Amino acid sequence: MTAALRAELLKLRTTRLVAGMTGLAVALTALIGVLEAVTAGTGKGMAIPSLATAGGLRDNLASTGFALLVAALLGVVITSGEFRLKTATDTYLDQPGRSRVLAAKAIAAAAAGTASGTAAAATSTGIAVGFAASRGYPLALSDPAIARYAGGAVIGSALLAAAGAGAGSLIRQQTGAIIAVVAWGLVIELVVGATVTTVGRFLPYTAAAMLAGDTNGGGMPQVPHGVTALPYPAAIAVLAAIAVAVAVAAALTTVRHDVT
Amino acid sequence: MTVIEVRGLVKRFGPATVVDGLGFAVGAGTVTGFLGPNGAGKTTTLRMLLGLVTPTSGQAVIWGKPYRDLGSRRRRVGAVLEASGFHPGRTVADHLRVRCAATGAARSRIGAVLAETGMGELAGRRAGGLSLGERQRLGLAGALLGEPEVLILDEPANGLDPAGVRWLRGFLRQLGEQGRTVLVSSHILAEVAQFADRAVVIDRGRLVSAGPVTELVKAARQAVTVRTPRAEALRAALASEGAAVRAVAPDRLEVTGLGTEEVATLAAALGIPVFEMTADTGSLEEAFLRLTATEGRPG
Repeated sequence: MTAALRAELLKLRTTRLVAGMTGLAVALTALIGVLEAVTAGTGKGMAIPSLATAGGLRDNLASTGFALLVAALLGVVITSGEFRLKTATDTYLDQPGRSRVLAAKAIAAAAAGTASGTAAAATSTGIAVGFAASRGYPLALSDPAIARYAGGAVIGSALLAAAGAGAGSLIRQQTGAIIAVVAWGLVIELVVGATVTTVGRFLPYTAAAMLAGDTNGGGMPQVPHGVTALPYPAAIAVLAAIAVAVAVAAALTTVRHDVT
Repeated sequence: MTVIEVRGLVKRFGPATVVDGLGFAVGAGTVTGFLGPNGAGKTTTLRMLLGLVTPTSGQAVIWGKPYRDLGSRRRRVGAVLEASGFHPGRTVADHLRVRCAATGAARSRIGAVLAETGMGELAGRRAGGLSLGERQRLGLAGALLGEPEVLILDEPANGLDPAGVRWLRGFLRQLGEQGRTVLVSSHILAEVAQFADRAVVIDRGRLVSAGPVTELVKAARQAVTVRTPRAEALRAALASEGAAVRAVAPDRLEVTGLGTEEVATLAAALGIPVFEMTADTGSLEEAFLRLTATEGRPG
């Protein structure tokens, strides 16, 4: 396991994948964060409340929503990329224990998700706090509350990346896996969460977004209306359980398939 | 001593039987060509041998064990199955560093295998910028990291230019001289004849022939070309002895089914002058085509 993990971490350090996906996460967070900050309190369209309010500041801090999705996609690419680039053959020759390889990849993906989530959280925090300060507003949230939302974005990114690694093993065809994860995050969870609100908070993307401060009152992308956030530790436990469940499902099915 | 053993191996993909009761053995210290036309089941067999594909039935083992159960497997067995299985953004040296991390091979081996495969100057180049021949060499470099006793190579000559093929031939000969056991699949048969001690020929997933390359060549169609001014008379005499005779020129016959000694003895007995006689020793190519000739396929 140690050798497999060492190899997977080295793989991530020797390509531009993590840097590129982190850049994308930061760019999307910056775009949403700045747009929200500029329009905050105007009451126009999907504008969030004023940054002088706790709700407005929290919504702005939660501009990491798309970064969470990017983290999940990072995990998908880490595993499905092995089949797209035909590197899976050497990986499984070096480490025939396929479940062990999957576990190593999930851990490596979580580490990569931590990096991209940290960068995104730093971006959203900088924008929210910076805009509030530039307008002369006192911070409407305490430092621990701000740190909690930033931490939520980091933890959410890490666990969604791990779940993405499982999804990329479950659906080896990379394009299909990416479409499935995007559709799940942006469409299916919204529909399911809005339809069965009691279930919504247990869905991975919704749970991670709410961990990062997203609410159904504002921010982009929005969580389903009527869904209430899980307690912080419960949301982490749910996300971790989902990441493990997806990996186990992959280990019991597609991971055993022939590598042709 | 048998190193690689395939017993009653069967692989079905849906309704298609790709490998059909295949069995053969590869002895220690031999270089064995694994031959067959496209679609014969060579790659699937090698992937079953290396645990990448699960057999429908039968066994493929190395030193009596499935690949995944071998201790220090990557230091004992090196394999190249994908000529293009590299991340295009990773450098040559980084690719080998990853392989070292995964297998426990010493990083100090990287320089040695790069030198051995003539890739020393390309260590810093990204794999996406390598030619197919350079990728083949990189694959071989990765397989050699653990200084394995056994090498399993799938079509290593694919995509190589003539200089690359020449290099590969010498490289494989060198591996054989080092006492390593090498199993090389190929359909460049003339090349295999130049470096392999033994050949395993399969077709449609079944064993067609296995044995020393020299015996395989001997089993090929042996033709004797005879130049004589009395071609018609000699033709009739040879035909009556059961030989197949074809006139390739007014004074020249191609005889199959009889050797040079029989042809010369018969001509002398009949007083037919022979000005020239040559024996074609046959080639692995001919033997291969003859062995794998089936309905609907030229041969």
